[in-house]
Amino acid sequence: MGITARDLFLIAPELALTVGATVVVLSGLVSRQRQLTLVLALLGLAVTFAFAIALWDNVHANGAQSAFNDSLIVDKFALYIKFLVAGTAALVLIASSEYAERFRPYGSEFTGLVLFSAAGLMLLAAAADLITIYVSLELATLPVVALAAFVRTRIAPIEAGVKYLLLSAVSSAFLLYGFAFLYGASGTMQVVGGSSGAPTIAQALGEGSPDVPFGGLAIMAGAILATAGFGFKLSMVPFQMWTPDVYEGAPTPVGAFLATASKAAAFAVVLRLFYEALGGSSADWSTLFAALAAITMTIGNLVAIVQSNVKRLLGYSAIAHAGYLLIGVAAVTAHGQETQDAAGISSVLFYLAGYAAMTLAAFFAVIVLTQRSGDERIEAMAGMGKRAPLAALALAVALLGLTGIPPTVGFMGKLFLFNAAVNSGLVWLAVVGAVNSVVSAYYYVGIIRTMYLREPAGDASPVAAAFSGRLTLWITVAAILVLGFWPGGLLEVARTAASGLVS
Amino acid sequence: MLTAITFVPMIGAALALAVRGSARTTRLIALTTVLAELGLTISMYVIFNAQGDTYQFVQRAPWVSAFGIEFLMGVDGLSAPLVLLNGILGVAAVLVSWRVETRVREYFMWLLLLQGAVMGVFASLDMILFFIFWELELVPMFFLISIWGTGRKDYSAMKFLLFTFLGSAFMFAAILALYFSFPAGERTFDMTALIHKDLTNLIVPSSLVFSGFLVAFAVKLPIVPLHTWLPDAHTDAPTAVSVMLAGVLLKMGGYGLLRINAGMFPDELAAAAPLLAVLAVVNVLYGAFIVMRQTDLKRLVAYSSVSHMGFVVLGLASVGAGTAQLDGTGLNGAAMQLFTHGTITGLLFVVVGLVYDRAHTRHIADMGGLSGRMPLIAVGFMIAGLASLGLPTTSGFVAEIMVFLGTFPAYGLATALSAFGVVLAAGYILWTAQRTMFGPPLERWAHLEDATRVDVAAMGVLIVPIFVFGVYPALLTDVFDAGIAPIIASFAEGASLVAGQGG
Amino acid sequence: MTLQLLHFQILSAAIFCIGLYGVLARRSAVLVLMSIELMLNAVNLQLVAFGAYSGFGTSTGQVIAVFVITIAAAEVGLALAIVMRLFRSRGGVNLDEIDVMRG
Repeated sequence: MGITARDLFLIAPELALTVGATVVVLSGLVSRQRQLTLVLALLGLAVTFAFAIALWDNVHANGAQSAFNDSLIVDKFALYIKFLVAGTAALVLIASSEYAERFRPYGSEFTGLVLFSAAGLMLLAAAADLITIYVSLELATLPVVALAAFVRTRIAPIEAGVKYLLLSAVSSAFLLYGFAFLYGASGTMQVVGGSSGAPTIAQALGEGSPDVPFGGLAIMAGAILATAGFGFKLSMVPFQMWTPDVYEGAPTPVGAFLATASKAAAFAVVLRLFYEALGGSSADWSTLFAALAAITMTIGNLVAIVQSNVKRLLGYSAIAHAGYLLIGVAAVTAHGQETQDAAGISSVLFYLAGYAAMTLAAFFAVIVLTQRSGDERIEAMAGMGKRAPLAALALAVALLGLTGIPPTVGFMGKLFLFNAAVNSGLVWLAVVGAVNSVVSAYYYVGIIRTMYLREPAGDASPVAAAFSGRLTLWITVAAILVLGFWPGGLLEVARTAASGLVS
Repeated sequence: MLTAITFVPMIGAALALAVRGSARTTRLIALTTVLAELGLTISMYVIFNAQGDTYQFVQRAPWVSAFGIEFLMGVDGLSAPLVLLNGILGVAAVLVSWRVETRVREYFMWLLLLQGAVMGVFASLDMILFFIFWELELVPMFFLISIWGTGRKDYSAMKFLLFTFLGSAFMFAAILALYFSFPAGERTFDMTALIHKDLTNLIVPSSLVFSGFLVAFAVKLPIVPLHTWLPDAHTDAPTAVSVMLAGVLLKMGGYGLLRINAGMFPDELAAAAPLLAVLAVVNVLYGAFIVMRQTDLKRLVAYSSVSHMGFVVLGLASVGAGTAQLDGTGLNGAAMQLFTHGTITGLLFVVVGLVYDRAHTRHIADMGGLSGRMPLIAVGFMIAGLASLGLPTTSGFVAEIMVFLGTFPAYGLATALSAFGVVLAAGYILWTAQRTMFGPPLERWAHLEDATRVDVAAMGVLIVPIFVFGVYPALLTDVFDAGIAPIIASFAEGASLVAGQGG
Repeated sequence: MTLQLLHFQILSAAIFCIGLYGVLARRSAVLVLMSIELMLNAVNLQLVAFGAYSGFGTSTGQVIAVFVITIAAAEVGLALAIVMRLFRSRGGVNLDEIDVMRG
């Protein structure tokens, strides 16, 4: 039962990241050089990546493996999310190296917190029992709370931090209450089976109704409470209200991290829980998720129309996209474990990566565009097409992608998601999704219009971007377009990852 | 070859943007591109063998193999003339843009991109590829109208975008429903394969799928009451864009109706024929009556487009006659109308644009006696006007007479009422000519100059096909026949199936 | 009457709801935090009761309760730090007053 070297190897990516984060924080005691912090952080991420690739090879050869007495499962599904999280963290850190100037003298702490949170998210993707899910969720959330409240001089970040903290704590309470019910109904916390042979929730539930008060209802209550708890992390209506406030108030790089890495891991764990643990239960989760998806994207898109702050608008857009992703979840849960092919899960995984590229591009562009003035109103973007050509182009490409116009990854991603929905017989949901894209075109294109068609109100001088900012903009824009033209490669990887969950 | 036809304009677009030189250089690049494109399309059209295979110049390459999406291009008798039309109009559009002075490089970039995207629509035989080009065309249109337009250009551009996008949302869902109606392995986006499949037993009622496509194409064509974006977009767009919009973009709608709604859903189309006949009459008469009270020259031409597109719908309704009498005359007329209206209305918009360039007004009441000042333009206007009202020896006559002949057996009353639209057209065209071109010359227009050589070339490019195909329509109808024949065959097939079941 | 699992479930549900009410109704950040603690303790009660009464043969429920207590402590530590910051910048911890962002 003890910890073996194999266990350590299986969590080597997380370990490397944690070590990297610690080194980064400690390096702050010695030197306050921003470049040093960044280099150390990227070094840590590079080692993480290397280990993750090694694990991918290993899993490819030997199949999924569980570690630490079955509390973690290392399969391709988890590794896919780990790549995504690590890549996102790297891009966020590079893009914010200029922005982090205003965190002085706590630049290294900022970087360290991002890495800690990333480590938590990576663990979350690999969590194999309910308690590991909870612990890694908190590990991922608490650093972000601190990050959201990072700028001391303004009230908005503090407000963002308080709101995020309180709502995430409430959501954790819901989640745990739901977990407690699931535990009570099944007698186990195991989501994914492992080498020890302990029964999993799915197996326990498969043996018939448990001998506890409200047996069947307990499972239902547990699943619904857990959905509510995850709903906060996913920005799912009706638990979405914190999202715009936090996106607007928190420092922009934190918003970028929250919108992409955080969401990816949360969706991963929802998929795992509802597919592996509750997939066999008779309840119709698909209808629940389909309804939530429809409501979430509709509300997100409609409220986004009236926004005047770019970051707040991106917050609502994040809500809307949570809705699109829930389409995939609804499609996955529609089938039950037996008949499902990997299409639904792989479409969610593909969209998570594409969405990350688009959202990062949008946030990075906003970082550059608001760098000097600090003015985040949409009107302030007027004339940016001339003042900051690269950032404006990146934002335009990202927004067209989020709308779902080809040839961007956003189109391909929506194609796959709606594909999955129609494949599961949810044609109406695909129609709702497509009509929602039309609504979203209105506000996304509105920003593009402001950037390119309006003359700047006051200052019309060029807005320069630092090298790090330009680099990340190029990378994300290239990703949006390349994956839009040749989605096949990533889709294949996503399918492989999804099949790890299915088998 | 079709790949070249699609991508030559896109390469030209990239060149126009990349080469930094005088405005003249950019114009010459654009002109070279569209002339090369015209050469390619003409040679394609000449090589196209109306007696040969149904689909010619087919190119097929796997693209996203996981979903069976292919890069599949090819033309049949239906699309070949429309590709030619797009080639012709591209030249005219560049020539009438000779006087554009603001942001020249971007302007020609978008214009060429637009041409390339429309080429893609006509040349794609894969549903997804078709859809991608269909959406791609929105982006250049949006920028062209909102940057280089006049009047309420923002509003019009957005309205255009949202209407089309809404329509395509339904098309998207319909495409996916079509794809998933078949068991795995038989699923395909290949139009050439879908047309031979039995589409009566889909996962959703096939009438819904039919309606999804119908809505998308009805917005584009446009069919009343989905037409309201058209007058706005036309009025506020720059001349070349109006030419492209009336000339080829509307034709995408008609092309889709013929290719998909008629080609794949013969039974549903036959069932919808009475409704289409009514809509056609409404389109023709409503459009014509609205034209009468227009004071803006461009808006007048725009509404005349609505009226004329009614004939296309009427031609489609001819399938209501039942297979016994169905010889394809009506459908052929509809296809013919697409082509001829493209050249004729393109010419009308060119002329209106030339007048506007000189007089800086489109207000009909302000004009009068212009023929004295600008005889060449007046000649162009008269040719376009007479062709538009269907004067024999112009191609307009051939198309309309075919529609009437084809539809009369099915819906006599509707045909007669629509024919009344021709009378109205004669009325408003001649009345407009009299109010603008003729009458006493006005003092205020004494300084106006006649068409330059470039302008004459722009008009000439469009006048030639009007007469060539008017005097010798077989050049066009033979090719269209080759495209319509399979559609007629599918109607006969459906009827024999029904008869077989009955017996 | 002996205590049964059902009684604990009802008690824990009641405490959870009281906590939730506190979160929604209280305007002071500190009181909201206390209400959240109440919710978490309801969960702990539930977990321990399940572990003790259901006869699963393992002590998973009790162990998890310890996890929850530990993490909740960390959470409160961070929360109080931020609330302190809030108090310093605004001179109060009323959540109604921190509402600069709207829309």
